Amino acid sequence: MGRVAEDDERAFTELVRRFQGRVGNLISRVLNDRENVDDLAQEVFVRVFVHRRNYRRGSKFSTWVFTIAANLAKNEIRRRVRRRNWFSLDALTEVLSDSLPQLADPTESREQGLEREQLQGAVGRAIATVPEKYRLALVLRDIEGLAYEEIAEVLGLPGGTVRSRINRARGMLQRKLQPLLRKQDAP
Amino acid sequence: MNRCDQARRLFGAYWDDEVTQAEREWLESHLAGCPTCRPQYEQFARTLETVGSLPRTDVAADLPERALVAARRATTAPDRIAVAPAKPVWIPVTATAALLLIGVSALLPWIGTPVGQRVFAHHDGRQQKMSEPYIVRTTGPAATGATAAVIDSLFDHSEDVEFVLDPVVLHRGRAQAPSRLPQGVQGEQAVISF
Repeated sequence: MGRVAEDDERAFTELVRRFQGRVGNLISRVLNDRENVDDLAQEVFVRVFVHRRNYRRGSKFSTWVFTIAANLAKNEIRRRVRRRNWFSLDALTEVLSDSLPQLADPTESREQGLEREQLQGAVGRAIATVPEKYRLALVLRDIEGLAYEEIAEVLGLPGGTVRSRINRARGMLQRKLQPLLRKQDAP
Repeated sequence: MNRCDQARRLFGAYWDDEVTQAEREWLESHLAGCPTCRPQYEQFARTLETVGSLPRTDVAADLPERALVAARRATTAPDRIAVAPAKPVWIPVTATAALLLIGVSALLPWIGTPVGQRVFAHHDGRQQKMSEPYIVRTTGPAATGATAAVIDSLFDHSEDVEFVLDPVVLHRGRAQAPSRLPQGVQGEQAVISF
Protein backbone atom coordinates (compact mmCIF):
# COMPACT_ATOMS: atom_id res chain seq x y z
CA MET A 1 0.00 0.00 0.00
CA GLY A 2 2.96 2.24 0.63
CA ARG A 3 3.91 1.94 -3.05
CA VAL A 4 0.34 2.66 -4.12
CA ALA A 5 0.43 5.84 -2.04
CA GLU A 6 3.48 6.84 -4.10
CA ASP A 7 1.45 6.46 -7.33
CA ASP A 8 2.85 3.05 -8.26
CA GLU A 9 0.19 1.74 -10.64
CA ARG A 10 1.63 -1.78 -10.81
CA ALA A 11 1.42 -2.02 -7.04
CA PHE A 12 -2.19 -0.89 -7.27
CA THR A 13 -3.19 -3.63 -9.74
CA GLU A 14 -1.40 -6.17 -7.53
CA LEU A 15 -3.34 -4.94 -4.52
CA VAL A 16 -6.62 -5.24 -6.43
CA ARG A 17 -5.73 -8.78 -7.51
CA ARG A 18 -4.99 -9.77 -3.93
CA PHE A 19 -8.18 -8.34 -2.37
CA GLN A 20 -10.74 -8.47 -5.17
CA GLY A 21 -12.09 -11.86 -4.08
CA ARG A 22 -12.75 -10.87 -0.49
CA VAL A 23 -14.18 -7.47 -1.43
CA GLY A 24 -16.39 -8.99 -4.14
CA ASN A 25 -17.61 -11.70 -1.81
CA LEU A 26 -18.44 -9.26 0.97
CA ILE A 27 -20.44 -7.07 -1.40
CA SER A 28 -22.17 -10.02 -3.01
CA ARG A 29 -23.21 -11.53 0.34
CA VAL A 30 -24.36 -8.26 1.85
CA LEU A 31 -26.30 -7.15 -1.21
CA ASN A 32 -27.29 -10.60 -2.42
CA ASP A 33 -26.52 -9.44 -5.90
CA ARG A 34 -24.08 -11.01 -8.34
CA GLU A 35 -24.77 -8.83 -11.35
CA ASN A 36 -23.34 -5.61 -9.96
CA VAL A 37 -20.50 -7.04 -7.89
CA ASP A 38 -17.82 -6.20 -10.45
CA ASP A 39 -18.89 -2.59 -10.72
CA LEU A 40 -19.15 -2.16 -6.97
CA ALA A 41 -15.83 -3.88 -6.29
CA GLN A 42 -14.25 -1.64 -8.91
CA GLU A 43 -15.71 1.38 -7.16
CA VAL A 44 -14.16 0.23 -3.88
CA PHE A 45 -10.70 0.06 -5.47
CA VAL A 46 -11.14 3.39 -7.23
CA ARG A 47 -11.84 4.91 -3.82
CA VAL A 48 -8.76 3.19 -2.44
CA PHE A 49 -6.69 4.82 -5.19
CA VAL A 50 -8.30 8.24 -4.93
CA HIS A 51 -7.86 8.34 -1.15
CA ARG A 52 -4.52 6.49 -1.11
CA ARG A 53 -2.80 9.34 0.72
CA ASN A 54 -5.34 9.13 3.57
CA TYR A 55 -4.23 5.59 4.39
CA ARG A 56 -2.37 5.48 7.70
CA ARG A 57 0.84 3.55 7.33
CA GLY A 58 1.08 0.78 9.86
CA SER A 59 -2.64 0.13 10.02
CA LYS A 60 -4.06 -3.02 8.48
CA PHE A 61 -4.91 -2.59 4.81
CA SER A 62 -7.68 -5.22 4.95
CA THR A 63 -9.45 -3.17 7.67
CA TRP A 64 -9.26 -0.06 5.52
CA VAL A 65 -10.48 -1.73 2.35
CA PHE A 66 -13.30 -3.48 4.22
CA THR A 67 -14.34 -0.17 5.76
CA ILE A 68 -14.63 1.32 2.28
CA ALA A 69 -16.47 -1.76 0.98
CA ALA A 70 -18.85 -1.83 3.96
CA ASN A 71 -19.70 1.86 3.55
CA LEU A 72 -20.26 1.40 -0.15
CA ALA A 73 -22.49 -1.63 0.49
CA LYS A 74 -24.49 0.31 3.09
CA ASN A 75 -24.97 3.21 0.67
CA GLU A 76 -25.99 0.79 -2.05
CA ILE A 77 -28.56 -0.91 0.21
CA ARG A 78 -30.05 2.47 1.09
CA ARG A 79 -30.10 3.55 -2.53
CA ARG A 80 -31.86 0.35 -3.53
CA VAL A 81 -34.36 0.64 -0.70
CA ARG A 82 -35.14 4.15 -1.90
CA ARG A 83 -35.63 2.83 -5.42
CA ARG A 84 -37.60 -0.14 -4.05
CA ASN A 85 -35.35 -2.44 -6.02
CA TRP A 86 -34.56 -4.72 -3.17
CA PHE A 87 -32.61 -7.95 -3.23
CA SER A 88 -32.86 -10.21 -6.22
CA LEU A 89 -33.23 -13.79 -5.14
CA ASP A 90 -32.89 -15.00 -8.69
CA ALA A 91 -29.45 -13.45 -8.93
CA LEU A 92 -28.32 -15.25 -5.78
CA THR A 93 -29.62 -18.60 -6.98
CA GLU A 94 -27.72 -18.02 -10.19
CA VAL A 95 -24.53 -17.25 -8.28
CA LEU A 96 -24.90 -20.35 -6.18
CA SER A 97 -25.59 -22.60 -9.12
CA ASP A 98 -22.66 -21.07 -11.02
CA SER A 99 -20.23 -21.59 -8.19
CA LEU A 100 -21.42 -24.93 -6.92
CA PRO A 101 -19.77 -27.20 -9.46
CA GLN A 102 -16.35 -25.83 -8.45
CA LEU A 103 -16.88 -26.73 -4.82
CA ALA A 104 -18.86 -29.89 -5.23
CA ASP A 105 -17.41 -32.99 -3.66
CA PRO A 106 -16.76 -35.50 -6.47
CA THR A 107 -17.82 -38.40 -4.24
CA GLU A 108 -21.15 -36.76 -3.44
CA SER A 109 -24.24 -38.26 -5.05
CA ARG A 110 -26.52 -36.19 -7.24
CA GLU A 111 -29.15 -36.21 -4.51
CA GLN A 112 -26.69 -35.03 -1.87
CA GLY A 113 -25.49 -32.32 -4.22
CA LEU A 114 -29.02 -31.05 -4.70
CA GLU A 115 -29.61 -31.05 -0.96
CA ARG A 116 -26.47 -29.07 -0.32
CA GLU A 117 -27.36 -26.68 -3.09
CA GLN A 118 -30.81 -26.19 -1.58
CA LEU A 119 -29.39 -25.54 1.84
CA GLN A 120 -26.84 -23.02 0.54
CA GLY A 121 -29.53 -21.26 -1.45
CA ALA A 122 -31.73 -21.02 1.62
CA VAL A 123 -28.84 -19.73 3.73
CA GLY A 124 -28.00 -17.07 1.13
CA ARG A 125 -31.61 -15.94 1.02
CA ALA A 126 -31.87 -15.97 4.81
CA ILE A 127 -28.76 -13.77 5.12
CA ALA A 128 -30.31 -11.30 2.69
CA THR A 129 -33.37 -10.94 4.94
CA VAL A 130 -31.38 -10.08 8.07
CA PRO A 131 -31.53 -6.31 8.72
CA GLU A 132 -28.61 -4.40 7.24
CA LYS A 133 -26.82 -3.45 10.46
CA TYR A 134 -26.77 -7.05 11.69
CA ARG A 135 -26.07 -8.49 8.25
CA LEU A 136 -22.86 -6.52 7.73
CA ALA A 137 -21.45 -7.65 11.06
CA LEU A 138 -22.49 -11.24 10.36
CA VAL A 139 -20.92 -11.35 6.90
CA LEU A 140 -17.69 -9.80 8.17
CA ARG A 141 -17.49 -12.31 11.00
CA ASP A 142 -18.90 -15.58 9.69
CA ILE A 143 -18.10 -15.30 6.00
CA GLU A 144 -15.00 -13.13 5.87
CA GLY A 145 -13.70 -14.35 9.22
CA LEU A 146 -12.65 -10.98 10.60
CA ALA A 147 -11.82 -10.65 14.29
CA TYR A 148 -14.31 -8.77 16.49
CA GLU A 149 -11.83 -5.94 17.00
CA GLU A 150 -11.35 -5.55 13.27
CA ILE A 151 -15.12 -5.56 12.66
CA ALA A 152 -15.49 -2.90 15.34
CA GLU A 153 -12.93 -0.81 13.48
CA VAL A 154 -14.54 -1.40 10.07
CA LEU A 155 -18.02 -0.51 11.30
CA GLY A 156 -16.86 2.22 13.66
CA LEU A 157 -18.69 0.63 16.58
CA PRO A 158 -17.71 -0.42 20.10
CA GLY A 159 -16.70 -4.07 20.51
CA GLY A 160 -19.71 -4.82 22.72
CA THR A 161 -22.13 -3.54 20.09
CA VAL A 162 -20.43 -5.67 17.43
CA ARG A 163 -20.72 -8.80 19.60
CA SER A 164 -24.37 -8.17 20.33
CA ARG A 165 -25.13 -7.52 16.64
CA ILE A 166 -23.41 -10.71 15.58
CA ASN A 167 -25.26 -12.71 18.23
CA ARG A 168 -28.59 -11.26 17.17
CA ALA A 169 -27.86 -11.90 13.50
CA ARG A 170 -26.92 -15.50 14.23
CA GLY A 171 -30.11 -15.97 16.25
CA MET A 172 -32.23 -14.53 13.43
CA LEU A 173 -30.51 -16.73 10.90
CA GLN A 174 -30.97 -19.84 13.00
CA ARG A 175 -34.69 -19.15 13.46
CA LYS A 176 -35.10 -18.62 9.73
CA LEU A 177 -33.25 -21.82 8.87
CA GLN A 178 -34.72 -23.96 11.65
CA PRO A 179 -37.44 -25.60 9.52
CA LEU A 180 -34.98 -26.50 6.79
CA LEU A 181 -32.34 -27.85 9.16
CA ARG A 182 -34.95 -29.93 10.98
CA LYS A 183 -36.10 -31.37 7.68
CA GLN A 184 -32.53 -32.24 6.78
CA ASP A 185 -31.96 -33.90 10.16
CA ALA A 186 -35.02 -36.09 9.74
CA PRO A 187 -34.20 -39.59 8.38
CA MET B 1 -32.28 -17.10 34.28
CA ASN B 2 -32.37 -20.87 34.11
CA ARG B 3 -29.45 -23.06 33.08
CA CYS B 4 -30.69 -23.51 29.49
CA ASP B 5 -30.98 -19.74 28.93
CA GLN B 6 -27.51 -19.34 30.39
CA ALA B 7 -26.19 -22.04 28.05
CA ARG B 8 -27.83 -20.48 24.99
CA ARG B 9 -26.21 -17.15 25.78
CA LEU B 10 -22.83 -18.84 25.56
CA PHE B 11 -23.40 -20.50 22.17
CA GLY B 12 -21.84 -17.65 20.17
CA ALA B 13 -18.81 -17.18 22.40
CA TYR B 14 -18.29 -20.96 22.52
CA TRP B 15 -18.40 -21.13 18.72
CA ASP B 16 -15.91 -18.27 18.51
CA ASP B 17 -13.73 -19.91 21.16
CA GLU B 18 -14.04 -16.88 23.39
CA VAL B 19 -15.16 -18.55 26.61
CA THR B 20 -13.12 -19.10 29.72
CA GLN B 21 -12.02 -22.59 30.66
CA ALA B 22 -14.66 -22.70 33.42
CA GLU B 23 -17.43 -21.61 31.02
CA ARG B 24 -16.34 -24.19 28.47
CA GLU B 25 -16.42 -27.03 31.01
CA TRP B 26 -19.78 -25.94 32.37
CA LEU B 27 -21.35 -25.61 28.89
CA GLU B 28 -20.00 -28.90 27.65
CA SER B 29 -21.33 -30.76 30.67
CA HIS B 30 -24.70 -29.04 30.28
CA LEU B 31 -24.92 -29.88 26.56
CA ALA B 32 -24.05 -33.50 27.29
CA GLY B 33 -26.97 -33.85 29.67
CA CYS B 34 -29.62 -31.47 28.27
CA PRO B 35 -31.96 -32.91 25.61
CA THR B 36 -33.15 -29.37 24.66
CA CYS B 37 -29.88 -27.48 24.41
CA ARG B 38 -27.84 -30.14 22.66
CA PRO B 39 -29.91 -30.22 19.40
CA GLN B 40 -30.20 -26.44 19.58
CA TYR B 41 -26.46 -26.03 19.69
CA GLU B 42 -26.05 -28.55 16.88
CA GLN B 43 -28.47 -26.52 14.76
CA PHE B 44 -26.66 -23.31 15.65
CA ALA B 45 -23.30 -24.80 14.69
CA ARG B 46 -24.69 -26.22 11.48
CA THR B 47 -26.14 -22.85 10.49
CA LEU B 48 -22.79 -21.15 10.96
CA GLU B 49 -20.92 -23.95 9.21
CA THR B 50 -23.20 -23.56 6.22
CA VAL B 51 -22.79 -19.76 6.27
CA GLY B 52 -19.02 -20.19 6.37
CA SER B 53 -19.01 -22.71 3.55
CA LEU B 54 -21.10 -20.68 1.12
CA PRO B 55 -19.39 -20.56 -2.27
CA ARG B 56 -17.33 -17.48 -2.80
CA THR B 57 -18.32 -15.01 -5.44
CA ASP B 58 -15.85 -14.60 -8.27
CA VAL B 59 -15.21 -11.18 -9.68
CA ALA B 60 -14.17 -10.40 -13.24
CA ALA B 61 -10.62 -11.47 -14.07
CA ASP B 62 -9.82 -8.10 -15.61
CA LEU B 63 -10.95 -6.15 -12.55
CA PRO B 64 -7.41 -4.89 -11.71
CA GLU B 65 -7.01 -3.33 -15.17
CA ARG B 66 -10.53 -1.94 -15.18
CA ALA B 67 -10.07 -0.50 -11.71
CA LEU B 68 -6.81 1.14 -12.77
CA VAL B 69 -8.43 2.82 -15.79
CA ALA B 70 -11.32 4.01 -13.66
CA ALA B 71 -8.94 5.19 -10.93
CA ARG B 72 -6.90 7.23 -13.44
CA ARG B 73 -10.10 8.79 -14.74
CA ALA B 74 -11.30 9.54 -11.21
CA THR B 75 -8.04 11.25 -10.24
CA THR B 76 -7.98 13.46 -13.32
CA ALA B 77 -11.68 14.33 -13.26
CA PRO B 78 -13.28 16.00 -10.25
CA ASP B 79 -14.81 13.61 -7.78
CA ARG B 80 -18.25 15.03 -8.28
CA ILE B 81 -19.97 17.01 -10.98
CA ALA B 82 -19.35 20.66 -10.30
CA VAL B 83 -22.50 22.34 -9.22
CA ALA B 84 -22.87 26.10 -9.24
CA PRO B 85 -23.09 27.33 -5.68
CA ALA B 86 -26.65 27.93 -4.69
CA LYS B 87 -27.66 31.59 -4.65
CA PRO B 88 -27.94 32.82 -1.11
CA VAL B 89 -31.56 33.14 -0.08
CA TRP B 90 -31.02 36.45 1.64
CA ILE B 91 -30.48 38.33 -1.66
CA PRO B 92 -33.98 37.95 -3.17
CA VAL B 93 -35.54 38.28 0.29
CA THR B 94 -33.70 41.54 0.98
CA ALA B 95 -34.48 42.86 -2.52
CA THR B 96 -38.20 42.13 -2.10
CA ALA B 97 -38.21 43.69 1.36
CA ALA B 98 -36.46 46.81 0.01
CA LEU B 99 -38.96 47.14 -2.86
CA LEU B 100 -41.88 46.73 -0.48
CA LEU B 101 -40.40 49.36 1.83
CA ILE B 102 -40.00 51.83 -1.03
CA GLY B 103 -43.53 51.16 -2.23
CA VAL B 104 -45.02 51.54 1.24
CA SER B 105 -43.07 54.72 1.97
CA ALA B 106 -44.24 56.21 -1.35
CA LEU B 107 -47.87 55.42 -0.53
CA LEU B 108 -47.62 56.32 3.13
CA PRO B 109 -48.87 59.96 2.79
CA TRP B 110 -51.96 58.57 1.07
CA ILE B 111 -52.64 55.64 3.27
CA GLY B 112 -54.52 56.08 6.48
CA THR B 113 -55.00 59.87 6.11
CA PRO B 114 -58.68 60.76 5.57
CA VAL B 115 -59.22 62.92 2.54
CA GLY B 116 -60.68 65.67 4.74
CA GLN B 117 -57.37 65.95 6.58
CA ARG B 118 -55.26 66.19 3.45
CA VAL B 119 -53.84 69.58 2.86
CA PHE B 120 -53.60 71.14 -0.53
CA ALA B 121 -50.76 73.59 -0.97
CA HIS B 122 -51.48 76.59 -3.14
CA HIS B 123 -48.87 78.04 -5.44
CA ASP B 124 -48.43 81.09 -3.25
CA GLY B 125 -47.82 79.09 -0.10
CA ARG B 126 -51.35 79.11 1.29
CA GLN B 127 -52.64 75.79 2.50
CA GLN B 128 -56.19 74.62 2.24
CA LYS B 129 -57.83 71.50 3.56
CA MET B 130 -59.26 69.27 0.92
CA SER B 131 -62.89 68.42 1.25
CA GLU B 132 -64.37 64.98 0.82
CA PRO B 133 -65.93 64.35 -2.55
CA TYR B 134 -69.67 63.77 -2.37
CA ILE B 135 -72.36 62.55 -4.70
CA VAL B 136 -74.56 65.17 -6.14
CA ARG B 137 -78.08 64.28 -5.21
CA THR B 138 -80.42 64.62 -8.03
CA THR B 139 -84.05 63.86 -8.35
CA GLY B 140 -85.26 61.41 -10.91
CA PRO B 141 -84.58 57.83 -11.85
CA ALA B 142 -80.80 58.24 -12.05
CA ALA B 143 -80.59 58.89 -8.31
CA THR B 144 -82.21 55.57 -7.48
CA GLY B 145 -79.77 53.53 -9.62
CA ALA B 146 -76.99 51.37 -8.23
CA THR B 147 -74.20 53.38 -6.66
CA ALA B 148 -71.59 51.26 -8.44
CA ALA B 149 -72.92 52.46 -11.73
CA VAL B 150 -72.63 56.09 -10.81
CA ILE B 151 -70.34 57.70 -13.30
CA ASP B 152 -67.72 60.19 -12.44
CA SER B 153 -69.66 63.08 -13.85
CA LEU B 154 -72.12 62.76 -10.98
CA PHE B 155 -69.48 63.94 -8.54
CA ASP B 156 -69.12 67.55 -7.80
CA HIS B 157 -65.44 68.38 -7.93
CA SER B 158 -65.96 72.10 -7.54
CA GLU B 159 -64.17 72.25 -4.23
CA ASP B 160 -61.50 69.72 -5.07
CA VAL B 161 -59.93 71.10 -8.16
CA GLU B 162 -58.63 74.56 -8.52
CA PHE B 163 -56.61 75.79 -11.42
CA VAL B 164 -54.57 78.82 -10.73
CA LEU B 165 -53.19 80.49 -13.76
CA ASP B 166 -49.92 82.30 -13.72
CA PRO B 167 -50.57 85.75 -12.37
CA VAL B 168 -49.90 88.32 -15.02
CA VAL B 169 -49.73 91.89 -13.90
CA LEU B 170 -51.08 94.11 -16.59
CA HIS B 171 -50.45 97.78 -16.71
CA ARG B 172 -52.65 100.05 -18.55
CA GLY B 173 -51.17 100.92 -21.86
CA ARG B 174 -47.93 98.92 -21.66
CA ALA B 175 -47.61 95.40 -20.39
CA GLN B 176 -44.35 94.22 -18.75
CA ALA B 177 -44.86 90.80 -20.16
CA PRO B 178 -46.45 90.01 -23.46
CA SER B 179 -50.07 89.28 -22.74
CA ARG B 180 -51.51 86.02 -23.90
CA LEU B 181 -55.02 87.23 -23.20
CA PRO B 182 -57.28 87.80 -26.15
CA GLN B 183 -57.41 91.39 -27.28
CA GLY B 184 -59.75 93.52 -25.28
CA VAL B 185 -59.57 91.40 -22.12
CA GLN B 186 -58.00 93.11 -19.15
CA GLY B 187 -57.22 91.90 -15.64
CA GLU B 188 -54.53 91.38 -13.02
CA GLN B 189 -55.12 87.78 -12.12
CA ALA B 190 -57.34 85.13 -13.48
CA VAL B 191 -58.56 82.37 -11.24
CA ILE B 192 -60.81 79.79 -12.71
CA SER B 193 -62.51 77.32 -10.46
CA PHE B 194 -64.49 74.28 -11.56
